[in-house]
Amino acid sequence: MTAQEVRLCGLLLREHFGEVVEKVGTHLLKGGAQNLRTIIHETGISLDLVKKSLCVLVQHGACVFRSGRKGAGSPTEYQTCCDRILRILRYPRYIYTAKTLYGDTGELIIEELLQRGHMTMSGTIKTVADRLTQNMEEGRSMDYSEVSSAFFRLVETHFLQRCPPLAGAEPKDSATPAAPAPPGTPAAPVSTAPPTPESFPDCYKVPHVTLVGRGKRQLASEDGEDQRNAKKAKMDSQTHGDEGICWQVNFERFHLHFRDQAIISAVANKLDQTSSEIVRTMLRMSEVTTSPTATCTKPLSANEIFRSLPTSYNIPRPILDQYLTLLIDDPMEFVGKAGESGGGMYVVNMHRALANLARATLESVVQERFGSRSARIFRLLLRKRHLEQKQVEDFAMIPAKEAKDMLYTLLSQNLVQLQEIPKTPDYAPSRTFYLYTVNQLPTARMLLQNCYKTVANLVERRLFESKESKRLLEKSQRIEAILASLQASGAEPEQLTEVEEMITAPEKQQLEALRLHINKLDSAENQVDETIFLLESYINSTASTSLLNDIDGVRLEGQTHIDLDNASRAGH
Amino acid sequence: MAGRGGGRGRRMMTFSVEAVGITRGDSLPPSIQQPTPLFPVMEQKPLPLTAGEEEEYLLALKQEFRGAMKSLPCFIQPTAAHRDVERYSDKYHSSEQTEALTDWTPDWKRLPKELRVKKPPRGGVSAAVSRSDKLQSGQKKKKVKEKEEVLLKLETLQKKEEGQSSEDEEEEGEEKKKKQEEEEAEGEEEYDEEEFEEETDYVMSYFDNGEEFGGDSDDNMDEAIY
Repeated sequence: MTAQEVRLCGLLLREHFGEVVEKVGTHLLKGGAQNLRTIIHETGISLDLVKKSLCVLVQHGACVFRSGRKGAGSPTEYQTCCDRILRILRYPRYIYTAKTLYGDTGELIIEELLQRGHMTMSGTIKTVADRLTQNMEEGRSMDYSEVSSAFFRLVETHFLQRCPPLAGAEPKDSATPAAPAPPGTPAAPVSTAPPTPESFPDCYKVPHVTLVGRGKRQLASEDGEDQRNAKKAKMDSQTHGDEGICWQVNFERFHLHFRDQAIISAVANKLDQTSSEIVRTMLRMSEVTTSPTATCTKPLSANEIFRSLPTSYNIPRPILDQYLTLLIDDPMEFVGKAGESGGGMYVVNMHRALANLARATLESVVQERFGSRSARIFRLLLRKRHLEQKQVEDFAMIPAKEAKDMLYTLLSQNLVQLQEIPKTPDYAPSRTFYLYTVNQLPTARMLLQNCYKTVANLVERRLFESKESKRLLEKSQRIEAILASLQASGAEPEQLTEVEEMITAPEKQQLEALRLHINKLDSAENQVDETIFLLESYINSTASTSLLNDIDGVRLEGQTHIDLDNASRAGH
Repeated sequence: MAGRGGGRGRRMMTFSVEAVGITRGDSLPPSIQQPTPLFPVMEQKPLPLTAGEEEEYLLALKQEFRGAMKSLPCFIQPTAAHRDVERYSDKYHSSEQTEALTDWTPDWKRLPKELRVKKPPRGGVSAAVSRSDKLQSGQKKKKVKEKEEVLLKLETLQKKEEGQSSEDEEEEGEEKKKKQEEEEAEGEEEYDEEEFEEETDYVMSYFDNGEEFGGDSDDNMDEAIY
C-alpha cells in the first residue's frame, strides 16, 4: 500500500461513502489489521459511526474480517485492501461493458450491484424491474422474467458470482425444498488468506427462486421516498427462497474481457480490421478453455479457426493462412505458431501481448513528455538492454551533447538506470564501465504510481472547483427545482422567464465554465484509468509468471493467488 | 580529509568524469538551491483527451453513479456540526437525516456480531411520552415528570441491554458501557425530539427555512450531478 494508493483510496471513499467512511478506511489501510476498539480509539469517531462504516466497507467487499490472531476469544480483526477500493474508478467501464453485451437490463443489474455491494438475486431483480418500469411509458411495465433471464445470462458467462460464504459459517437452510444444496460449510481453508469466491463449487449456481410479477411504477409525489420505503418493507416480507445467497460483480471476468478488447484493438490499429477479426475469433473460441492467468491460449488449428470465423467476412482459406502468417511475423508477437498439425496450430500470446502493450505505453509516455528523440533513445535502450554513453550516441544518431542532455533528463526522472560494471574490485571510477539500461517492470510500477497520483490530483482539483463555486451551484440547483415545479404545475412563460433571469449572464458563464472543467477532469480520470488497467494487468501477469518459474515450472490452474502464496511459503 | 579539502577549488565527482562524457570546459547546469517549483514549466503540452460518444457516455455514467451513491444509505454523514447559535429550526431538521441512516439493514449473518447497531427501543420512549401527555401541562410538573420518565427509560434500557448482550459480554466489557452511555444519550435526544414532535401542531416536514428548499429534488435528471 503506497502513499499514493492510500491517498487515492481516501478520496474515492470520501466521494462515494462520505467522510466518516473515508477516515475509518484510510486508518485501516495505513494500520493493517485492527480490532474495533483500536479503530475507535485512534480515529476518535463515535462507536456507532465506526460500526456503520465497517458495515458499509464489508458490504462492499473493501474490508474483510476474521477472528483475532491471538487465539480464540480475541476480538475480530478488520483488514482493508486498496485493490478493491481502486476498482471504483473502473465502475463506469464495467457498466458500459454490461450495456454493450446485455443491453439496458444488464446495465442496470450491474449498476445496482455495484451501488449496493452485494444483494440477493430477488432483491436485484425487483429493484431493476422497478427502475426499468419508471423509464417506460405509462401503462407498460417490465416483467420479472425478462430481468431474471438477463441475470441468468450474466451468471452463465461468469460476470456475476456468489459472495463467498464466511469461513466456518453454518449451512444456511433454504426456504423451498426445491432449492439446490445451499453453499454449505466449505472445507476449512488452509491458508490464512481469505478464500476467493472461485474456490467454492457453488460459485456460479443460480438458486431456484420463485419470483413472479412485474415492476412497480412509483407515484411521482413528494412523499415518493416514503412510499417507496413502505412498499419495500411490504415486498421484502415475502421470501423467495434465496435468502442468504448474495451476489457480487466478478471483476476478474470483466478484466479478462477488457484485456481481450485491448489486444483486439491493438491488432486492428497495427494491422487491419480483418486480422483483428481473426484474433477476436481465436479469443472467443478459447474463452472457456483458457484459465485467467495462462500465458497463452490453448493451440487452435487453422481449420477450426476457419470454421468459426463470422460468415459476414467471407475470408477464403488461403487468405486466412496469409493473415495468420502476417500475424506471426509481426514483431508485437500477438499470435504464435505452436505446431504444424491441422493446417498449423496457433496460439494467442496473452502475456507477451500485455508486455508489448505496456512497453508501447511506456514509450508513448516518454515521447509525450520529453520529445521524440528522447523516445528514440528510450526505445533503443529497451531493445539493446545495456549501452554505454558513446554507443547510445552512435546508435541513436543524435549529436553527443544533446544525447547526453536527454540521457541525463531521463536518468533524473528515473526512467533510465545506470549500471556499474567494475573492472577492478575497488570500483574505481576510471576503471568501471557505466552502462545505461531500462528495466521494463520497475519502470512500469513507477509509472503506475504516477498514474495513481495523477488521478488523486484530478479528484482533488475537481473537489476544489466544486467547493469554490458551491454557492453558485446551489443557487442554480434551487432555480432549476423552482422551474421544474412551476412547469409541472403549469405556469405561464413570463413566470418561467422571470425565474430564469434570476441567474445573471456572468453567473451563467461561470456555471458553464465550471461544468466544462468538471467534465474534463472526470473524463481525464476515466482515461487515466485505462492506462492504469493496462499497467496493472502487465504487472500482475509478469508477477505471476515469475513466481511460476520459481516453482520448477509447474503450471497451477485456477485460483493462482492463494495457491501461489502457499507454494512460495512452502518453497522458501 | 586532506584530499577532500583540496578539492574545494576544483570540481570533484564520485564517478569518472570522462566516462560519462563531461569534458573539461563544459558548463554544467547550475546546482539547485531550492525545491523544484510546484508547477514546473512544461516544454511539451499534453495530448488532448479523446472525445467521442463512448467517452461522453462513460462520463455521464460516472457522474450519475456518484450522485446516486450520495443518496444511498451507504453514504454516512458525520453528525452535523453544531452551529454557533442554536436556531429554532434545528429541532425540526436533525431528525430527517437520521432516518435514512437507520433505514438500511444489511444481512447481519454476513457481519460479525459486534457490528450490530441496536436501535434504541421506540416502545419505551412512546410510553413515556403518552404518560406525560395524560398529566397536566404545568411546566414544573412536566420537568419533574420528565426526569422520572428518563430514569424509568434508563432502567428499561439497561434491562434490555443486559438481556440482549449477554452473549457478547466476553468480548465487549468496556465497549458495552460505552454503548450504554451512547444509547442513553441517543435515547434522551430522541425523547426530547419526540416530545416536541407531539406538542406542536405543525407537521414536521412542513417547516423549512429555505436553506434546503429544492435541494432534494432529483426529478430533473438532465442536470449533471457533481
